[in-house]
Amino acid sequence: MAFLLRRLCFYLAAFVAAATINFFLPRLMPGDPVQIMFSSAGAELPPESLQALKLTFGFVDGPLWQQYLTYLGSIFSGDLGRSIKYFPLPVSTVLGNALVWTVGLMGTATIISFTLGTFLGILAAWRRGSLFDVIVSVGAIFATSVPAVVTSLIVVFFFGFTLNWFPTGYAADPALDPAFTLQYIGSVLYHGLLPMLTLCTVLTGGFAVTMRNNMINLLGEDYIVMARAKGLSDGHVMLWYAARNALLPTVSSLAIAIGTILGGSLVTEVVFNYPGLGNILYQAILARDYPVIQGQLLIMTATMLVANFIVDVSYVLLDPRLKRA
Amino acid sequence: MKSQPFGLIRNRKALVGVAIIAFILVVALAAPLLTPYDPGARVGRPHQAPSLAHWLGTTRIGQDVFTRLIYGARTSLAVGFGAGLLITIVGTALGILAGYRGGKVDEVISFFTNMVLVVPNLPLLLVLAAFIGQASPWVIALILGGTSWAWGARVTRAETLSVKQKDYVKSAEMMGEPRWRIMTFEIFPNLISIVGINFIGSVIFAIITQATLEFLGLGDPKVVSWGTMLYAAQKASALSVGAWWDILTPCFALAFLGIGLSLLNFAVDEIANPRLRTGNRLGRWSALIRSGEGRL
Repeated sequence: MAFLLRRLCFYLAAFVAAATINFFLPRLMPGDPVQIMFSSAGAELPPESLQALKLTFGFVDGPLWQQYLTYLGSIFSGDLGRSIKYFPLPVSTVLGNALVWTVGLMGTATIISFTLGTFLGILAAWRRGSLFDVIVSVGAIFATSVPAVVTSLIVVFFFGFTLNWFPTGYAADPALDPAFTLQYIGSVLYHGLLPMLTLCTVLTGGFAVTMRNNMINLLGEDYIVMARAKGLSDGHVMLWYAARNALLPTVSSLAIAIGTILGGSLVTEVVFNYPGLGNILYQAILARDYPVIQGQLLIMTATMLVANFIVDVSYVLLDPRLKRA
Repeated sequence: MKSQPFGLIRNRKALVGVAIIAFILVVALAAPLLTPYDPGARVGRPHQAPSLAHWLGTTRIGQDVFTRLIYGARTSLAVGFGAGLLITIVGTALGILAGYRGGKVDEVISFFTNMVLVVPNLPLLLVLAAFIGQASPWVIALILGGTSWAWGARVTRAETLSVKQKDYVKSAEMMGEPRWRIMTFEIFPNLISIVGINFIGSVIFAIITQATLEFLGLGDPKVVSWGTMLYAAQKASALSVGAWWDILTPCFALAFLGIGLSLLNFAVDEIANPRLRTGNRLGRWSALIRSGEGRL
């Protein structure tokens, strides 16, 4: 458990680093940053929002370190300030509502594409050089090298606008009330299917390539030959001797990939007009809503750290050496 | 016997990749010769479909899409390779330094590397770009270079750790060569394959990220690039009004360049990566099993 504790401390430090960037960025702007943010927002804001904006960025009376501590204090108590665009709604409310959709979309897409990609990678490595391997490898190159924004736009063009099979906006039919009814859940699934398929297209290839390469490294190992020599069945050797060990580095690469997944889901949400963090962020960028833009960095960092921690825990479960440590 | 078609594919990947990149590069350089129009000028009616006068149609405000495409290639390539170079230089330098020096230096660099790796990249870039305002392509290249070196640093450090144990490094140390000389002339040349993979990967990343930032409205809309083309087309609701040429043109260009670079990257990876050098032995081994069992 010392391993997990060490990781937790590290994640805490990383979160403070992200908060520190947020604290110092406005202070590096020339002139009075709050005035600039206030005027660039453009909207007719009530005067009390100026005060709120000042508080958001920790512009309180006192020396810099005191401002910094005040800022960190409010961040850790969950206060991210107030949005300019949706004034007087707090940033945490604006982002919190959106986070549910993003995590749902991203989580489902990650689980599906990780499972699918891993299996494709296992089979491709096992039949290395076969037609199947060539199709998987080349397909993965194509899928991973096309930017998420491009895949999303092409998918939304063909399936949304041209064929009219799927809706091109919202997370559910806006005419329906959010409730645990079959109709509403069906509508959520119907609206989420296209962005999710897009994300899976973007992600599966990467997982397949990682798994394939890890498998190929292991196939020459003595214990694989030994397992075959024992007369174990093909599938048994493939899954329980080769794939089981190749999964470890794949899981750790998943931790690094989470950042990319987050970025991809941001862009996909914008294209599909899906009400997740990405779309809120896009609106915030257009309106220069700085508190929301900054708040999303903290929320995204926190999401990424939690996801990393889940990966760490699963790593401990997968690797018996870490359990003892 | 299976290794022969595999080797062919390997070469073909590199060949196709280089051909795609060279093609885009030539078109970008020859842009003024290929089109009579100016990329910023209004030369036709708004949202005209592709025709002989406008091969890829016109934008919402009547600019020629083909002209913008080939001029935009210049920006996308320049930022991609510029930022890619910057990312690689920073990552390689920090990686070699951390790996070779070890101790406190390694601890500090590794700590920062790991920290940068767990702070999500795109959200961080969005915050930086938002405070800069409408970021020009060069500013985007600079912030990409400053925030995206961590992966390269980690990989380079790991490779340095193994190269450092080699005899020629030890003998250079014995002869009293200065540390910077060992790092630049003994260690760096032996990391060249990993640096190459890092470079191509960083170029892909930079091109994609620049386009994404510009698509999200954080670029300078006056600059002609594939990202700003996407931004303008999306803002003009090109898809819902049926002007598919406006938005799909930069889409396919980005996909084409991305595939070219990735093919090259995979080829370099396959040729240079020591893991895959064992390919022949592995091929023989699997042929052996195949002849014995008829399946694998």
